[in-house]
Amino acid sequence: MPRRAATHTPFGYNRAATCIHRLLPSRDMKVSNKIAFACAGLAFAAALSAAAQAPAAEAAGNADAGRQKSSMCLGCHNIPGYKTAFPSVYSVPKLDGQHAAYIVSALRAYKSGERRHPSMRAVAASLSDQDMADLAAFYATAPAQSASR
Amino acid sequence: MNKFTIGVIVLAFAAAGAAQAGNPDAGKEKSRPCAACHGADGNSPAPSFPKIAGQHYDYLLKALQDYKSGARKNAIMAPQVANLNQRDFQDLAAFYSAQHGLVTRKNSYLVPTGKH
Repeated sequence: MPRRAATHTPFGYNRAATCIHRLLPSRDMKVSNKIAFACAGLAFAAALSAAAQAPAAEAAGNADAGRQKSSMCLGCHNIPGYKTAFPSVYSVPKLDGQHAAYIVSALRAYKSGERRHPSMRAVAASLSDQDMADLAAFYATAPAQSASR
Repeated sequence: MNKFTIGVIVLAFAAAGAAQAGNPDAGKEKSRPCAACHGADGNSPAPSFPKIAGQHYDYLLKALQDYKSGARKNAIMAPQVANLNQRDFQDLAAFYSAQHGLVTRKNSYLVPTGKH
């Protein structure tokens, strides 16, 4: 991820390379040195972008992708008033308007078995981290009425 | 009066009975410790804590019962519910389910929005 990001951020690379270039005693630099400095600049830029991305460890969710992947969820979670009969009878929880981070943590807990529910474990087991992030983004996209208050 | 009408009336009474199982005003009083994480009305400001405003009464009740029984394990919730009884759970669930918050968007693939 950081390596790929570095190749897509020429600003960081150029800036680093320019700074290094100014430190040189002579402009008649050997080609091998130029390559070495270019590599150093690239590594520096990669380190910078890695540091910038470090806090965002979660996969970024895409609500539209989540909508496409929601077919397994809709039959229970998007029928108003729907109750599950298994393993016991109760209303399936409302998800629309829920925090994305909480939905991801719930899905992970179901997948790991830490949180028990037969249907949800089966569903969550089939989801990748990206799937979870996308579904969470879809459900977190709350309608206007729940955005108030 | 046909069977369908009778069924609707019976269901309406059943729904009213379920809604009255907890006292939302008492629940509001008991919800003060919850507000620190879940927000004053259940719309938690922090993404790591779930919103519970508008959640189904029976789902909230089940979640609280499961935390107490240990069926659902959570280091924060377990001590919170340890000293609460069934009456407290009903009151809290009644309060939070009556708040504006979570909703259920209709699945447009399964539920036609037009006339049946």
